[in-house]
Amino acid sequence: MRRIKKLRLIGLLLLLPLIFLLDLSTGPVRIPLREIFDILFSRAPDNGTWAFIVNNIRLPKAITAVLAGCGLSVSGLQMQTMFRNPLADPSVLGITAGASFGVAAVMLSGGGIATLYAIRELGSPGSWLIASAACMGAGVVMLFVLTLSSRLRDNVLMLVIGLMMNSITIALTSIWQYFSNSEEVKDFLLWTFGSLGGVTGSQLHILTLIVLAGLVVVFFSSKMLDALLLGENYARSMGLTVKRTRIVIVCTTSVLSGAITAFCGPIAFVGLAVPHLVRLAFNTSSHRILVPACCLVGTELLLLCDSISQWPGTETILPINIITSLVGAPVVIFLLIRRKNLNLYR
Amino acid sequence: MNRRKERISILLVGLVIWGCHSQPGRGAAAAKPASEKPATPRSTLKYAHGFRIDYYEQYREISIANRMAGQTDTLHYLLVDSGVPPPADRPGIPVIVTPVKQMAVQSSVHVALAGFAGVADRIVGLGSFQYINSPVVREGIRTGRVRQIGIDSKINTELLISMHPGVLIAMTNPNAAFGQYQPLMDAGIPVMPDAEWMETTPLGRAEWVKLIGALVDKEDSVNKKFDSVEQVYLKLADIGRAAKEKPTVIVNMPFKGVWYLPAGDNFMTQFLRDAGASYPWADTRGSNSLSLNFEAVSPVALKADFWLNQGYVDSKSDLLASDSRFSGFHSFQTGALWNYNKRVNDIGSNDFWESGIVNPHLILADMIRILHPGLLPADTLYYYKQLK
Amino acid sequence: MSAGRVLLHTHALQTGYRQGGRRVQVSVDLPSLQLCAGQMICLLGPNGSGKSTLLRTLAGLQPPLDGRVEIEGRWGLSAAELARKISLVLTDRITGINLDVYALVALGRYPWSGWLGGLKDSDKTAITRAIDAAGIGDLLERKVHTLSDGENQKVMLARALAQDTPILMLDEPTAHLDLPSRIRLMRLLNRLARELNKGILLSTHELDLAMQVADEVWLLQAAGPFHRGAPEDLILDGVFEAVFAREGVVFDREAGVFRIPPEGNRRIRLEGQGMAAFWTRRALQREGFVLDERGTGESGMDAGTVRIIAEDGRTVWVLESGQTVSRFESIGSLLQGLDRPGLPHA
Repeated sequence: MRRIKKLRLIGLLLLLPLIFLLDLSTGPVRIPLREIFDILFSRAPDNGTWAFIVNNIRLPKAITAVLAGCGLSVSGLQMQTMFRNPLADPSVLGITAGASFGVAAVMLSGGGIATLYAIRELGSPGSWLIASAACMGAGVVMLFVLTLSSRLRDNVLMLVIGLMMNSITIALTSIWQYFSNSEEVKDFLLWTFGSLGGVTGSQLHILTLIVLAGLVVVFFSSKMLDALLLGENYARSMGLTVKRTRIVIVCTTSVLSGAITAFCGPIAFVGLAVPHLVRLAFNTSSHRILVPACCLVGTELLLLCDSISQWPGTETILPINIITSLVGAPVVIFLLIRRKNLNLYR
Repeated sequence: MNRRKERISILLVGLVIWGCHSQPGRGAAAAKPASEKPATPRSTLKYAHGFRIDYYEQYREISIANRMAGQTDTLHYLLVDSGVPPPADRPGIPVIVTPVKQMAVQSSVHVALAGFAGVADRIVGLGSFQYINSPVVREGIRTGRVRQIGIDSKINTELLISMHPGVLIAMTNPNAAFGQYQPLMDAGIPVMPDAEWMETTPLGRAEWVKLIGALVDKEDSVNKKFDSVEQVYLKLADIGRAAKEKPTVIVNMPFKGVWYLPAGDNFMTQFLRDAGASYPWADTRGSNSLSLNFEAVSPVALKADFWLNQGYVDSKSDLLASDSRFSGFHSFQTGALWNYNKRVNDIGSNDFWESGIVNPHLILADMIRILHPGLLPADTLYYYKQLK
Repeated sequence: MSAGRVLLHTHALQTGYRQGGRRVQVSVDLPSLQLCAGQMICLLGPNGSGKSTLLRTLAGLQPPLDGRVEIEGRWGLSAAELARKISLVLTDRITGINLDVYALVALGRYPWSGWLGGLKDSDKTAITRAIDAAGIGDLLERKVHTLSDGENQKVMLARALAQDTPILMLDEPTAHLDLPSRIRLMRLLNRLARELNKGILLSTHELDLAMQVADEVWLLQAAGPFHRGAPEDLILDGVFEAVFAREGVVFDREAGVFRIPPEGNRRIRLEGQGMAAFWTRRALQREGFVLDERGTGESGMDAGTVRIIAEDGRTVWVLESGQTVSRFESIGSLLQGLDRPGLPHA
């Protein structure tokens, strides 16, 4: 049993470079695979167009896909375990909505120009402000839900609270949108389509740092997540400090999904669908296997979605959020029909 | 404001009904009534396609191709001189009593058109105070003569009815419904959509001043002024088109990996043609914007000689802050970066999008001076400045 | 049963919970309680008497209102320390988790395993021992959600045993089990207490079973004093009778069973010996007859005398009721005959 799971993990690991390469080789500009290899592995400074495209456009986008795929899937997995609810993911708790509100607050506040001037005065690029605002938005929602959770022991109630938070933040964002200049609203709407292609340079460095740090914490808390599978009473009886564990989970989830949301926009269904796919494939609830498997499957799924969104042969781009919804929603429906596999916690 | 509409068209038309273009033509006007004798036209239109003026003995008729909610239909208005009874055989058509003494407008483009006709002081309502350059209107805002009436779904219907202007020139976008203006029409305020942004040439956009001219009975002076703008523009275009070197030009700035570029029939593309630029997307179809993958644009963008119209950036470091990859562009390295933000005022409003509509000759002259130094006598630029 | 080392000791304990700053006391005043190694204590009491609250308080799942619980002479232990002292089997449903039985039992090693939950050889030995002790060697490959209630309870017991703690507490472990499973589980627990020298505390409704296996009984009442002692002592003292009389249940001190008080007022005499007499008495009592053993006709209607005799190696019941004498060949036909007096049978 264990050997089979290990073999599957290794298989997924071997698949990763192939899919990564597939993503690197798809795009509106046709670049031969051999050239891509040359560009990737020869460190010779080449100012050619292909080198620019591979190094500055496709590589950052693929890396962003890897980071977002890992971060979102693992966040979803953590949520599902913590709430023992197969339909939980960061968006359900209202964390994504909180991040969106943070982004909306920056994009729509007091006239785009004024804000842009302010950003320039501060000397920090606009995307940075947006990123920190998203994490703050996620954090505020997180703190609020956490405060309520100390009063409410019931996970289902907490889920309802999350839904309410979602509604409240969406409503607040809409109000803000309503009183904002249409141009800023359009920027915001474009952002809500989600995009992996807008993360470059220092943004990518920081996103990498945040996601890696988050993943390390999640990996080292797999043991705690396992204990939570049996419910809070058993978890406590096994020496788990449930409150501290909750804080760790909620913090990592909001930082991971908040940062990813800020840089890439909301990307739907990855956090929900990937953990289910992984459980289906690995037939286990042990997080020591689930966490790395979610990273791999999430990464590969998002790389694949990005390849699809390249719409090979056309110059137009398809928003990544649309592709993940098209791929993810049927997966969830399929899992719902095969109730046996979704029925993980009840 | 204009930029706003451009963005709307980018987003909605570009993504939703991209590739589906219906051109409003002169033939869109309704059949002429039999009873009225046509009169000699005082204004003739050479470039604009979105509206027409028909002249009769007792009145004039304006027909506007209105594109809203994804459909194009033609709206008619009768201009009747003050004191003259409206024609009995044209029921159901809104009547505008001319000359219009008070008008409400929604965008700064309308302000520029009115300013060109010399009637900016007749503006009593403005869509939003946020973006405005005209000193006359800003003074009006200060004294309270000009009220903020709102745009799109936020229009302040009650305020407008109480103000009861002679006409409301409404900003249109292809996704909004005209129905929101029905209460105003019912209250006897003619609502006239403007569709200048659908014109495919700079002169076509500028020619909308003739509509304002008809509304305020200043057709002769407006026509004269327009003719001189036209003459200058055509002369400049001859010079620009004849330039031997055609530098490759890239415009706008990508956002989140998507690069919106004017399509072949967009007025900006016409500017580029007339300025003697080589613009790789000049032969694409459509008057809106192309939404292209950053990667699809990058082969051109990397090597382009000039990069114009970046938008809300003021310096090279702003550009890099927005996307560090721009440093790889040839134009970035040579410093051939020019933005149309020289005339941004203290409240952040860009005059390019206001007075630019009636000054196509100034924009063209700027472009030629940028792309072909030496072709025109040296002079300072009006709208453009170099990003440093 | 000589008491071993004291594992658990309470001082001036009061259980309950706080609701909005208000103390809601659940239990009556408790004496100082002790649980020793090798001792099996059954916590008895009607519904609502606070059994679960006491158990949860002793297990450290909820704080006491007053007083303290000392574990091996120490108190104020952290959750992690507590987890190495007390293991639990709770009523919480944990079915539906996509874990196999082995993985679930292995979770019991949580307080002992390393950072990531990796299992050392000592952990594996403990798991194997727990599996053997609980007798679930044939279930290891099964998924937890496919187990029957009885199997599930044994697996959860194995998980608690794998936790390898001196104290084992079980909250109504026999609740959903059929009679043979109940008996097997109780026997198993009794054996574990002796063989592994564990201190076992379990709450249950199974009074008969508890009396057979418990070294000591703690008897809680909804309103009334707390009693404890060897089950036989409590019976002899009349405590059981007194406590349960209030609940409308009669404890038959001689038979050691509870029964619903008779509703009828018919008296009957029984003459006979041995097993047949024992079960006949049970049957008559069930049917509501008052057994008038000494023949002192008190109030009520006299139903007659049943005489059990052996005839040709078979047991025959002879009923003398007034002038009528009837013979029956089974208890069932005897009861029928008693229902319709005057009709001779067989």
